[in-house]
Amino acid sequence: MTKRGNTGLAKVKEIYEDRSFYAKQLKAEDKKIIGYLCIYTPLEILTALDIVPYRLFGNMREPITNADAYFPTLVCPFLRSILDLGLKGKYDFLDGSVMPHVCEVGEKLAHIWRTYIDLPYSFYIDTPHSKSEAALEYHKEWLNEFKKSLESLTGKELSTESLKQATKAHNEQRALVRRLYELRKTEPPLISGAETLQVMKALMSIPVKEGNELLQEVISEVKERREGPKGGTRLLLWGSNIDDIAIIEIMEEFGANVVMDDLCVGSRFYFPDVDMTEDPLDGLARRYLLDLKCPRTFIGAAVGDTKRDYPKDLERRFGYLHKYAEEWNVKGAILYNLRFCDIHGFEAPLVKDYFDRYGLRSMYLEHDYSESSLAPLRTRIQGFLELLT
Amino acid sequence: MSGEKKEKTIKRLKAMYPLRSLVDKMYERAVEYNEEGKPTAWCMVNWWGADAVLRTMDIAAVYPEDYGAVCAAFGTAQAFLDRCNSDGFPDHLCGYARNGIGYASRMKELGGIPPEAPMSGMPKPTLLLCSGYFCDTRYKWFQSLGRYLDAPVWLLEMPHPGVRESLSGDGTQKHIIEFMVKELREFIAFLEHLVGKKMDWDKLDEVVNDLIEMNRVWHEVNELRKAKPCPMHSRDFWSCMPASLYVAEDPGKTAVLYRNLYDEVKEKIDKKEAAIPEEKYRLAFAELPPWHSLGFFDKLAERGWNFVVESWSYHPPKPTDLSKISNPLERIARHTYRHFAGFFEEAYKNGEHLGYFGYPYLDYVKEYECDALVAHPLLTCRTATNHLAYVQDRLMKVLKVPTIVIEGDIVDLKHFNPEEALRRAEAFEEVIEHYREVRKKG
Repeated sequence: MTKRGNTGLAKVKEIYEDRSFYAKQLKAEDKKIIGYLCIYTPLEILTALDIVPYRLFGNMREPITNADAYFPTLVCPFLRSILDLGLKGKYDFLDGSVMPHVCEVGEKLAHIWRTYIDLPYSFYIDTPHSKSEAALEYHKEWLNEFKKSLESLTGKELSTESLKQATKAHNEQRALVRRLYELRKTEPPLISGAETLQVMKALMSIPVKEGNELLQEVISEVKERREGPKGGTRLLLWGSNIDDIAIIEIMEEFGANVVMDDLCVGSRFYFPDVDMTEDPLDGLARRYLLDLKCPRTFIGAAVGDTKRDYPKDLERRFGYLHKYAEEWNVKGAILYNLRFCDIHGFEAPLVKDYFDRYGLRSMYLEHDYSESSLAPLRTRIQGFLELLT
Repeated sequence: MSGEKKEKTIKRLKAMYPLRSLVDKMYERAVEYNEEGKPTAWCMVNWWGADAVLRTMDIAAVYPEDYGAVCAAFGTAQAFLDRCNSDGFPDHLCGYARNGIGYASRMKELGGIPPEAPMSGMPKPTLLLCSGYFCDTRYKWFQSLGRYLDAPVWLLEMPHPGVRESLSGDGTQKHIIEFMVKELREFIAFLEHLVGKKMDWDKLDEVVNDLIEMNRVWHEVNELRKAKPCPMHSRDFWSCMPASLYVAEDPGKTAVLYRNLYDEVKEKIDKKEAAIPEEKYRLAFAELPPWHSLGFFDKLAERGWNFVVESWSYHPPKPTDLSKISNPLERIARHTYRHFAGFFEEAYKNGEHLGYFGYPYLDYVKEYECDALVAHPLLTCRTATNHLAYVQDRLMKVLKVPTIVIEGDIVDLKHFNPEEALRRAEAFEEVIEHYREVRKKG
């Protein structure tokens, strides 16, 4: 399933550069392709019904024109770009879309999208904001509704066994991604940050089984190759959506190695597994509500709390980041945010506080999701890296 | 220059004033509670999901969202905004939130209410209550206040189903209400521990009934505004809405004030009195007005622009009979959910997908016979802005009703230019006339 019969990283690059090509090929083979938004869609349900999950991305290299009529310029440029591509017909090959409540603007996108983009199927999942037991039960009900809607679309009944098999396949992919990330712990890392992002994006464009084969090829290739990244300042990249390698390439051109990330096109998407529960929806509901670590999900007080201890609060929310920083031996962190992303905007100063507690330097970087605005970021990145060396 | 004060063009309702003054008392009450060592809460507007519970538990609530508007009106917001930015928060965040963060930062520095705080200021809270209703800021903002305040932060959830999903699933609505009730139970358990006293369920029952009745009367007042000419301008709506939205006073007492308002509006309708000298155009307004420049509406009133309806989100829910539901928490849940989803069935029938923020404008413009919508996108408020282009498009496509867009902000004065807006409004009258003709021709 490639244009030129490539394998490993060459195949990754090929998919990254023309990701819809493969989806269209699958479509020609009578496969159903469903586009999904962000990280809260339980892909296992799609896979179990032989539907290919295809992540919706924007294109920061293409000016937003058509979406202006429905989405103002002061909302998330990434989501605007997705709508723009949809309005331009670039997602016409999809059989449908599923959009969870990933954020307020994402929620609006779901409804505006189905008003103007005529796909045979669309579903919206009301993912709760919090992690209470009641929220978990509610979330499971929504996953069940989603499952029923897909059964109706495909005319097939989804068996527990099929869902378990699909869950295993996706967990296998997660394990392989974690293995790939292990290869970034070495000095120098065996795979660059930009290459890793390409792998992530390729995986989000093809069926899980093919993705797993691709990952195995990539892992073998990366372990064996001699011309990998050179040593440099080891960085952790935290933030909102990054779906283009340009920003990471700037960091790596200036001699940094982006060795770890907390990004939704990265570890945030792949690291937590789904528990293999008797009713697979239980495991899915838990994983997609409780275990994903996007700041869109609220962590606050519990019954019995009468005060808030800020350092403990930070530890509870961001403890995993210190672990990442230690295990991947990072020297600094870049806190990347898309302009107008409120969720990450409120979170970034607190993440900075958290890193400060451990003496890890960090820098906040805001980007408007356009190619033209990368230039001023170069100077800031360069300055930050000089500070770290 | 004459020493005489020029009479305002918009005729304000007398019954509005006692309602408006309730908000001042809300701040005073919170400061008094704090001084007496009684619990206080900083709350996000929760569309009545938590207000009855807080009032029954005798916790004094203030609303930093409203306080952002207060600081804007008193000219003290800029210093708080600057402080927030210098603390590392991006300047594209909500103006209300940045004002609130700057205020909390200053409060931490001083150990108490800053002397420059307008009205009585907001006292140090016992509790920070977020709401999952509508926007991300309304829970992320309070989470970020942990830097400055040691109060625990609680989130009261609000489901946001889509129109189709909410109506097509066999048990979706049941699950929504069950979820909300469970969340309320957990919230009460948290509060009981926090303030060291048990919920008085009989009292809660009573407060919930009063609150529902208060909103029923307030809804009826707004129904009267469909009259031509309309005797109640949006200025009066905005002055009266906080009494309901913040449950600023005992809702039983507030209901009496809304009844007085109803009587006054009804009397004016009987006398065919309009809120402005001559109602040439009937307008709907979206979303929050420029609080710092409300005199702008008088200028428009001079041109015959009467604002007869405004943002759905600040209106009370459409009344529905909840008297047979014995559990007060379920009544709260259904009342709040009714606000959110009250237009869903109609939206579904009409093939519209944005059942809140979107479809209500189609309904209002039709029902209140509006000639146009004035959309006021706010530079730092995603929630009040992200649907406006869509609404503009739907109004034109479905009803052939035009929209004029006048940009501004809720806190930052410099984004709103009233002179330019007036010039554009004058030119827009031709567009209004044109589409009147288009609609007539069908």
